Amino acid sequence: MYRPLPTGPIALDCDVLVGTWPAQADIDLSPEKAAATLAEADVTGALVCSARGAWFDDVDGLAETLSLAADRPAWSPVVTVNLRNALRAEELLATASNAGVRTLRLFGALQGVPIASPAYRHTITLAAAAGITILTDGDVREIWPAFAGQGLRVVFLDVHAYHLADFILLAREEPGFVSSTRLLNAPDSIERLVGEVGAQHAAFGSRAPLHAIAPSTLRLRHARISAEDRATIGGGWLTDTTVTP
Amino acid sequence: MSPDYDGPIIDVHGHWGPWFFAMDIGSVEENERLLDYYGIDLQIVSASEAVVYDAPGGNARLDAVFAEHPRLRGYVVVNPNTPEVGRADAERFLASDRWVGVKIHTTYPGRSIASPQMRDTFDMLEALHAVVLVHTWGPDVLDLAALVADRPHVTAIAAHAGATSWDGAIEAAGLTDRLYLELSCSITDLARVLRITEQVDHRRLLLGTDATLIDPAVAIGLYQSADLSAESRELIFWRNAAELFGLDPRAGENGRDHRNPSAVKEQ
Repeated sequence: MYRPLPTGPIALDCDVLVGTWPAQADIDLSPEKAAATLAEADVTGALVCSARGAWFDDVDGLAETLSLAADRPAWSPVVTVNLRNALRAEELLATASNAGVRTLRLFGALQGVPIASPAYRHTITLAAAAGITILTDGDVREIWPAFAGQGLRVVFLDVHAYHLADFILLAREEPGFVSSTRLLNAPDSIERLVGEVGAQHAAFGSRAPLHAIAPSTLRLRHARISAEDRATIGGGWLTDTTVTP
Repeated sequence: MSPDYDGPIIDVHGHWGPWFFAMDIGSVEENERLLDYYGIDLQIVSASEAVVYDAPGGNARLDAVFAEHPRLRGYVVVNPNTPEVGRADAERFLASDRWVGVKIHTTYPGRSIASPQMRDTFDMLEALHAVVLVHTWGPDVLDLAALVADRPHVTAIAAHAGATSWDGAIEAAGLTDRLYLELSCSITDLARVLRITEQVDHRRLLLGTDATLIDPAVAIGLYQSADLSAESRELIFWRNAAELFGLDPRAGENGRDHRNPSAVKEQ
């Protein structure tokens, strides 16, 4: 087998979860496990969100996320909104903003909320007004209209290599649209994206520790791109706009 | 898995040819580049054209590729809607040592593993004593185990190990000792690789990458995430495949240059 080459740390993982995951409750999603996984992979910073907010309670989830991040300077907290009850979104985002949170993560696909729902529109409008960067799950081919034309910074967490053409078409028109690298897993997906629209449209994401981190780190570290582009994807402007100072 | 494994590698799930996605991966030089980069000694491939469109046409075009590429071996793609055509291709190509097994997809032919057409196809494979790589995605991996269990001269590899139904794959592997699993898949759930490597006999696990459709980093990274002994690494990365297909990983060494460190470099 090849020997992975020393390409230095990855500055930021935009897709890290802690807490528990009902469908895979046997997997350790503790903050200690997340920290150890990132450290072993030489990933030095993370946008971290508690799964509690995704599955059960967004207010308590934010409190949990803030508490975890307070103990770990390399972690930046991410707030989420329960799209099944977005009546609390405005207050929740204000609380998060006052605490220095600069990133909102949406779990609409997980929560079974249609992209055309008022909850999405309300929450995205609030995020736009606050200048918050959005991380979102879901099929980019279906959900993109809700985010387009508003000057938003949006990281689509589930863009698959099979859908790269659609994402590139979007990115040509939307300077703030970014794809996580997690599923850009064809031998030339990252290279193609960088070549077509630039490295600023990609961000390293692994979904650790729910998912194995090595496939994502290996793919980025061996991508045939410049060191500058690799650094951009591994942090870059996303760090400037999401990491809590 | 330790990242410094430097033993032989046999990839039991590869492809040659273009796909209909935004990927520039269709030339055999891309296969060669990835073999060099990841140190893969032998790769068993099917023609993408044969998988998604024209099985006999794609098989024939793949046959012409082998002469110049000694690290590649072939799967004869059989469309379960035309088992007699598949039989003719299998009998023709498997007579050559460059072709080592049969590949069956379910999506493009539109036939499930539990379909009558697939039963007929497996009856044909039984007569050929074939090793067959079958696309599994979801609970159909259990249907594959049932087909194999009823046919004592067929050995199958569950491609993607059931993907979303990895628990079904674990159960399937317990139903017959002639069912192997390979884990190539975009689904990188840690639970999937941990539970499979914990609960399935390592003599029944194989490395499949799905390259050139998917970068080998995914499958290799998945196995890196499991706590495997050196012995298990040897089994999964080449020994099981060598025994199953009767392959010597050194057989393709005329085309191999990955021992040259300059073959692996950042750009």
